[in-house]
Amino acid sequence: MKIGFPRALYYFDYYPFWAGFFYNLDIELVTSEPTHRGIMESGLKMAHDETCLPVKLLAGHINSLKDVDYIFLPRMVSVEEKTYLCPKFLGIPESVSAAVDGDIPVITVTINWREGQNQVLKALEAFGLKLGKGKAMIRNAFQEALKWQTMYGELRRSGEDFEESLDLCEKSFTILPRETSLKLAKTNQYKVCENREPRPGIALVGHAYLVNERYANLDLVNKLRANVDLKLIEETETKAVENSLKGLRKKMFWSQAKKILGAGYSYVDDETVDGVIYLSCFGCGMDSVSQDMLARRARKAHKPYMVITLDEHSGEAGLVTRIEAFVDMIVRRIENESNLSAYGKCLDNN
Amino acid sequence: MKVTFPHMGNVWIIIKTLFEMLNVEVIVPPLTSKKTLDLGTKISPESACLPFKINLGNYIEAAQEGADTIAITGGIGPCRFGYYGELQRQILKDAGYSYEAVILEPPDGSIPGLLKRIRYLAGNHNSWGRIMKTIYFAYQKSVAIDRVEDLIHAARPRLENKPATELLYQKALASLVSVTSYRGLEEVVRSVQQEIAERQAVQNYQSGSGSDPLRIGIVGEIYTILDPFSSADIEKQLGFLGAEVDRSIYLSGWVGKHVFQGLAKGYRSMKSYPRLAKPYLGHFVGGHGQETVGSAVKFAQKGYDGIIQILPLTCMPEIVAAGILPRIQEACNIPVMTLTVDEHTGNAGIQTRLEAFVDLLERSNCLRKKVPKELVSLERMC
Repeated sequence: MKIGFPRALYYFDYYPFWAGFFYNLDIELVTSEPTHRGIMESGLKMAHDETCLPVKLLAGHINSLKDVDYIFLPRMVSVEEKTYLCPKFLGIPESVSAAVDGDIPVITVTINWREGQNQVLKALEAFGLKLGKGKAMIRNAFQEALKWQTMYGELRRSGEDFEESLDLCEKSFTILPRETSLKLAKTNQYKVCENREPRPGIALVGHAYLVNERYANLDLVNKLRANVDLKLIEETETKAVENSLKGLRKKMFWSQAKKILGAGYSYVDDETVDGVIYLSCFGCGMDSVSQDMLARRARKAHKPYMVITLDEHSGEAGLVTRIEAFVDMIVRRIENESNLSAYGKCLDNN
Repeated sequence: MKVTFPHMGNVWIIIKTLFEMLNVEVIVPPLTSKKTLDLGTKISPESACLPFKINLGNYIEAAQEGADTIAITGGIGPCRFGYYGELQRQILKDAGYSYEAVILEPPDGSIPGLLKRIRYLAGNHNSWGRIMKTIYFAYQKSVAIDRVEDLIHAARPRLENKPATELLYQKALASLVSVTSYRGLEEVVRSVQQEIAERQAVQNYQSGSGSDPLRIGIVGEIYTILDPFSSADIEKQLGFLGAEVDRSIYLSGWVGKHVFQGLAKGYRSMKSYPRLAKPYLGHFVGGHGQETVGSAVKFAQKGYDGIIQILPLTCMPEIVAAGILPRIQEACNIPVMTLTVDEHTGNAGIQTRLEAFVDLLERSNCLRKKVPKELVSLERMC
């Protein structure tokens, strides 16, 4: 049996879990190819006009999945206690498959950690039984899947980039012994050239499905890495994220916003971070709240802050100009300790 | 302490009653206008939804009249409305308004925490018994308002003198504002009922009874369907175009579900919606997304002529529903139109679309009645 997994949306956060789960159930999981023009265009045509870019991409990826027996679209309601994922995640099996309307049947399972691990396991058991697998096998697969997800998290925190982490994570459970791959990860780490002058530190925050979606974000991560020391949410310790959220009067109820906001707040207070970039997409409801809160905090702390809003019309030249301007501004700010005159002559020495 | 709250259609009547009967000073913000929206839009995040911007405008206008405390409901997601109270408090603070925001929700699920907040708003001079009694009366008032609204919905397309109908509605609302007894509520509703019946009798006598009007179901996001300002007064416009409207959510239904946790049914219960939605959307998606789908199915089953969905731009649950409505349109053979509103929405644009939609429904209605079956099948063969 072959199950298709679209390379969009939850792929960027939870693929290791599902890869581990299906690997241990002896089911072949096929992902769609990385986003390219054709996928994006078909997605734009099929998905509802007003939905956000990532969901449109998802529609394109579902459409591009061929030669599989089923398409797997989990309903990820919640991945931890007392939080939800975006409402659009909750309706994906119905709303997106309605848009695509292919011949391949869709299978789904509801994952809701709000009700505890037992309920998640129960849902997965019912799901696995339908696929003709035994209970013991499903339980084992679930435990293994959690290990895959943890491993992936560790690799990301060690500084490994997204694609490499996924690859290493998979290898470490299938081919390589685990220790070797962790070691591999450390040698592969992105390094700052030591002979060059120190570069500004910039933190990039945003949803994983935007930050890691290289086609849609016009390879923003690598563009930034060429000029600055880049920090990503995935590389930040969970503890730092949780600590910086303690001052909130009301707890955030979205997991993704919690991560973004927590990491964002910690970057604002972090002296090695010279500026924060928020990568958002048009029409994101969650970002309208978290982006505004982070902007307020950054303004109070006088931390340079920029929002990049992606949509299907984002152009490369515009993006590059904005990044250059932002980085230039930060470099000047470092050199002149923000003692720039607000009027009159430029104090720039060079 | 001077309490204020955001507008949402006729909700102000109920909240005003609630606080006044508890002897708490309350400031009703000036009715929402273009100016309100402009004020709110200026300090709102760009991609926040329309209700958020109107709310902020309401607070600013209320602050000019001396309000210092906001009472607003909350939530724990996944709709972003749950976080609005807190975000609005921060925004107002940064903009220089010294507001305290009391979010009426159990903080972290703690009921004593909620009671403490209610106590803070109600002050120490009210007993719990009195608070509960007043809340129940306010709820009954919301039922009365819903009944009046429903009568007016039916009267608009049927009565020829349109301005007189609107006057009747406004008068009924005005008298509902000051009513403080259950009997008073009943009387207002009955007088509206009587007045409409009388006018219809006169009209029938003069020009004979007209044909049945089109029936259109309005579904969508609760704020935009309850608040006439945000939806360009769509119910009135449709009424004038000769369509009888019904909507998926009535205020008392919402209060019954969320405040009384289903113990009170409300004028229109929302109970059946999740069950009806199940074949199309098997899980709740926050906000009223599932209710939108369920009520669309209900309207289709009841033989309505068309369905209009209203949502504020970027509303997450309603976008999910909007993606599913075409399936209902196909399965139940009922035209569905989706209207998105934001701060740039113009009345003329909406009016044109409504006229086109009503024309379309009327035509398909005529065709269904007049065109003989054979002709239709012949056309298909070509």
